[in-house]
Amino acid sequence: MNGPLIVQSDKTLLLEVDHEQADACRRAIAAFAELERAPEHIHTYRVTPLGLWNARAAGHDAEQVVDALVTYSRYPVPHALLVDIAETMDRYGRLTLSKHPTHGLVLTTTDRPVLEEVLRSKRVAPLVGNRIDADTVAVHPSERGQIKQTLLKLGWPAEDLAGYVDGEAHPIELAEDGWALRPYQRQAVENFWHGGSGVVVLPCGAGKTLVGAGSMAQAKSTTLILVTNTVSARQWKHELVKRTSLTEEEIGEYSGTRKEIRPVTIATYQVLTTRRKGVYPHLELFDSRDWGLIVYDEVHLLPAPVFKFTADLQARRRLGLTATLVREDGRESDVFSLIGPKRFDAPWKEIEAQGYIAPADCVEVRVNLTESERLAYATAEQEEKYRFCATTDTKRKVTEALVRRFAGQQILVIGQYIDQLDELGEHLDAPVIKGETSNAQREKLFEAFRQGEINVLVVSKVANFSIDLPEATVAIQVSGTFGSRQEEAQRLGRVLRPKSDGHQAHFYSVVARDTIDQDFAAHRQRFLAEQGYAYRIVDADEILAEGAEGA
Amino acid sequence: MSEPATPPRSLAEALRARDDASLAVLLRSRPDLVTPVPTDLTQLATRAGTRASVVRALERLDRFALQTAEALAVAADPATYAELLGLMAGADGDPVVAGALPQALGTLRDQALVWGGDDRLRLVRTARELLAPSPQHPSPTGLGPTVREAAAGMSPGRIQEIVTAAGLPSTHDAVSALDALTALFTDRRRMAALLDEAPVDSLEVLSRLVWGPPYGQVTADPAPRLRWLMDRGLLLPTAPGTVVLPREAALHLRGGRAHRATEPLPPSVEPAATHSAQVVDATAAGQAYTALATVEELLKDWHEGGPPVLRAGGLSVRDLKRTAVALDVPEPVAAFWVELAYAAGLVASDGEADERYAATPAYDEWLERPAAERWTALARAWLAATRTAGVVGGRDAKDRTLSALGPGLDRSAAPEVRHRVLALLAALPEGSAPAADSVLARLRWERPLRGPQRDDDLRGRLARWTLDEAERLGVTGRGALSSHGRALLGAPSAPPAGTADVTAGPSATGPIAEGPAGAPHGAPAGEPTGPGDKLPVHHEHPRPVERLDPLPPAEQAAAAAAAARLLAPLLPEPLDHVLLQADLTAVAPGPLRRPLADTLGVLADVESKGGATVYRFTPGSVRRALDAGRSASDLHAFLAQHSRTPVPQPLAYLIDDVARRHGQLRVGAASAYVRCDDDALLNEILADKRAAGLRLRRLAPTVLAAQSDPATLLEGLRAMGFAPAAESAEGDVLITRADAHRTPPRTAPEPVPDGPPAPDATLLTAAIRAIRAGDLASTAPRRPSGAAPAASGGELPRTTSAETLATMQAAVLTGEALWIGYVNAEGAASQRVIAPVRVEGGFVTAYDHTADEVRTYPLHRITGVAELADDQI
Repeated sequence: MNGPLIVQSDKTLLLEVDHEQADACRRAIAAFAELERAPEHIHTYRVTPLGLWNARAAGHDAEQVVDALVTYSRYPVPHALLVDIAETMDRYGRLTLSKHPTHGLVLTTTDRPVLEEVLRSKRVAPLVGNRIDADTVAVHPSERGQIKQTLLKLGWPAEDLAGYVDGEAHPIELAEDGWALRPYQRQAVENFWHGGSGVVVLPCGAGKTLVGAGSMAQAKSTTLILVTNTVSARQWKHELVKRTSLTEEEIGEYSGTRKEIRPVTIATYQVLTTRRKGVYPHLELFDSRDWGLIVYDEVHLLPAPVFKFTADLQARRRLGLTATLVREDGRESDVFSLIGPKRFDAPWKEIEAQGYIAPADCVEVRVNLTESERLAYATAEQEEKYRFCATTDTKRKVTEALVRRFAGQQILVIGQYIDQLDELGEHLDAPVIKGETSNAQREKLFEAFRQGEINVLVVSKVANFSIDLPEATVAIQVSGTFGSRQEEAQRLGRVLRPKSDGHQAHFYSVVARDTIDQDFAAHRQRFLAEQGYAYRIVDADEILAEGAEGA
Repeated sequence: MSEPATPPRSLAEALRARDDASLAVLLRSRPDLVTPVPTDLTQLATRAGTRASVVRALERLDRFALQTAEALAVAADPATYAELLGLMAGADGDPVVAGALPQALGTLRDQALVWGGDDRLRLVRTARELLAPSPQHPSPTGLGPTVREAAAGMSPGRIQEIVTAAGLPSTHDAVSALDALTALFTDRRRMAALLDEAPVDSLEVLSRLVWGPPYGQVTADPAPRLRWLMDRGLLLPTAPGTVVLPREAALHLRGGRAHRATEPLPPSVEPAATHSAQVVDATAAGQAYTALATVEELLKDWHEGGPPVLRAGGLSVRDLKRTAVALDVPEPVAAFWVELAYAAGLVASDGEADERYAATPAYDEWLERPAAERWTALARAWLAATRTAGVVGGRDAKDRTLSALGPGLDRSAAPEVRHRVLALLAALPEGSAPAADSVLARLRWERPLRGPQRDDDLRGRLARWTLDEAERLGVTGRGALSSHGRALLGAPSAPPAGTADVTAGPSATGPIAEGPAGAPHGAPAGEPTGPGDKLPVHHEHPRPVERLDPLPPAEQAAAAAAAARLLAPLLPEPLDHVLLQADLTAVAPGPLRRPLADTLGVLADVESKGGATVYRFTPGSVRRALDAGRSASDLHAFLAQHSRTPVPQPLAYLIDDVARRHGQLRVGAASAYVRCDDDALLNEILADKRAAGLRLRRLAPTVLAAQSDPATLLEGLRAMGFAPAAESAEGDVLITRADAHRTPPRTAPEPVPDGPPAPDATLLTAAIRAIRAGDLASTAPRRPSGAAPAASGGELPRTTSAETLATMQAAVLTGEALWIGYVNAEGAASQRVIAPVRVEGGFVTAYDHTADEVRTYPLHRITGVAELADDQI
């Protein structure tokens, strides 16, 4: 009994990474446990019913799970936990969704009382049709997603054997000239394709777009790609033209300004969720072609209405791409039930070790409020407090000092409040990109930044997602959307793309001491710390003193 | 079996003929007979015949012995062994039953429920009354009354009609007619011939009644198939509209069997799964460790004063819920841990005005002991406890909810059932986990319920709880008894898998034999050996020796030490280091040494428990450590010393950052002030709207005074995000470290056993000597007393109440009639002649010859009693 794994009573598994059996153990438990935290010494995995059911769906049985735990556990595994695992896994597959030659989609059971139990549920009743026989009930094909989601919530997940439609064929090939899919990208594509539908989790900068392109090359059919905004849509198009056999003409953009429907169409979430007179006029996009594959970029941002449409698309292959499955609204399980289980996940540090993302130095700079600022902060209204401490003048000075320190490198200054950004832009003599900046202007500035014509760019949260700034090596975050963990991850992602000269990236968060800014920062950083990105904390005085010397 | 020269005429005589060893067996199996020690054998016999004692003895019989007693109750009195064998084994003579019967009869004789030789077996009268069928209490045998009993109230004419219809010659009186009818029913050949003539319908009626209940309803004008049976006495009327199948007829139809199914052999305990001994021991040890951790956590949770004691005693439902959440277990499990800590004397009520539960001083001692000993302390308390956590949440007879730690949780049978269940596990091969149902079936056989069998009887539930609790406590692992659990019971090491015959072998090993697994308690050394002048009655009879008896206290300690020795190497070794990580967590990859765990518990919050412990550092937790009097440099040194890896920068920064602010504000208790060198900070406080409730006033640039008490002030300032420190009158920082809350010294609750404990050898020898001496005195020939009451003198007989009682009890045994003086409720005195039937609870039930009916008299109203001259009845 000296394994690397410790089983906790709250069903978390602690894996000692320095242990000689750690790798074997990681492979054994990855099938059914979710990696929750990956700091330097001990990684935490969590065993959830969802994870166990996904393992069942992937062909693992309870025996294997129990065996993995018993083999690698350092201490005896509580019998009750093993029983609980076996019982949970046994719940999967009692119900199956399949195609019936005459009745269309049907729900069948191998355990009649289970079917009776779920049919009595008020939430299931409207989703099913006639009872065909004692063990079978018809399901309306459009409710396929809905019923899967509901059954999962009831604790009786259905095995979906109804398969996928192939969609309209369209030739797509990867154009691997001078580059190739990285091993982990290839693995992600393979896992996704083998599983049918699902989510691929990769750190920012690890090339999620290429996983999408690789999957399209596998599907060789018309594809609908859903992205967060227009800038991101352009970048997808750019990448696809560059990396695949697709030409400009084959790729359409469906956004607020353009409404093109082509064999490969890139649409924004925003246009899909536009509502006019209570209806979603752009929903017909889903039916406008016989799509063979639907790609959801940044699936953690999937807006609630899109969930509902997605429920109707269960017969089509779905690929979700994200850097973090952390949703601030806690709807992770909806992602799993509607798009599919997580098919691939790689710890950030592992990909960094392979050299595909840049190593990053994360620093939190604590600034002290001046006395008058503290007084003002104490008297501020509750809802104004964050804005007040996040935009303190001292932060500006620290930011200036940092920009001076990294003069000559590509620097992004990221913030939440436009006033603050405008002021910073003025002091740093740098252009500001914010919501009102036109797309043309944005692309122009980005290109200039890429070319090194501009060294410093001040961006608001519009640039949080999917902008591709290959040469940004320093990011300075002055304020954020409260305690959003995934925003922090996205921002760090801005500097993680591998640098051509291989040097280190820097990520600075400027935080006001002893205020709620500090509490929010702690919350935001926790996710990254759990991914192995430890923050150093320094006092603003150090930076300012250094800046003064340099000047 | 040898016979005394003259057969005994009463139980007392039968007892007198028994040797000391055999009396010791009786007193050991029925310890209630020896408290207080009876004066002589007559009194012993009287006491052995009281209803309460007989009921107790019957309830402790195994199913086959009970079935034997039930068979004797429906047999003639006295019965021969052959008759009994016929009733038990049936006409075709089941060899297994025939083999097991001597053992069962031996048990009944041992317990003085049956006396007399094999030719004159007599069931004691009280047992007969309890077991014999009557219309109110149908017998478990399903047999009805005999022909003679059933026909007692019939007119002689009707009896003659029946006799004639049955094809017998008519006789001159009813008694001989009924004898003839009985003889016909018991004669297999003639009875078969009679039934051959019966219409098919009528036989069908009989087949419905044959296995009981034997009573049927008839209308005023019975159908022909019933009429045929009634005419021949195969159905006899008992009350208007009711008929009964007489016992003799039923027995003929049953092939002579008193029971539909006799169960001569105990059902075997089936192993449901077998694990390797290592897996079982490791799992059990893991669970044992969890048990220790849980009890510690519980008491840590109650450290600064536990939940209040309800007025009626016990823990409120809400507090139990809260405790369950704190321990992260379901409520019934939380109730188990709470009760376990209570049974082990680790927690008690503090007895103060607002009574609360708290750890006892014994808890502190317990904490200091090695882990394995801590576990045996818990396990021993559990084994012996009569309090059962399983009933918590249920309702008592008065429909009050039973609360944990409250009254009404004692179940006398619990230790016995617990021990029995574990003994059954101990008899299985190493690593075998039995199916719960087979354990229950075995227990039900060993101690059957009288009356209808239910699945949810107390013993069954106790047995299920035992299986669950043993697993939870780590006595068993994966359902099989662990080696330390085995040692705790004092059981021999397990039979190697495969060789143990779990089913008791045929008759030789006896009904409660566990198998050939050695006989540690065989031929008990302390068996008293009598003077030897008594005839050995059944001394060499095979005793159920393999039964694993609870250990005497002295051996318990040794067994516990043995268990602790076995367990100790299996428990994880406490560690002296943790792993610190940059996400502000510390992981202890195993149990920690106590001082380390205590300090870390203050410095960080526990996030996850189990084999390892995950701690999280937060500003709050660091502040707590600073409040407890530690300095930042202390904390840095502590972390550096106990971390196997370098202390992460964010953690070091966190400590410094909190320490920087800690104590910046000082709050005085005496005058409730806030002082701070930084007057801007005080400005800030004064400016904050949230400070309004504290009613602060500036005294000086660096001092604020508050109207609220210091505690509220501290809370308020902390809520506003400051880190004030309390200050003493001398200006020192007050160290607020919570003191442990303890009860005054308490003893653990005494188990409430069901009846007196089994007497030990010394007591038994002494008791038997005393009884013999008393018996000699009372049976020695003496002059007839001159003070015999004047039976015809017209005045009430006067005797002392002790004499009255003794005479009454003797009369019950002999069936003699007595002459009593009686004062009724109005004070009117009368004399009555009664034949006592039963004396119990201060009342005598007797057939009153004067009134010609059965009446009950309170003993205290009887002025005196006198025997009648022989010719008076």
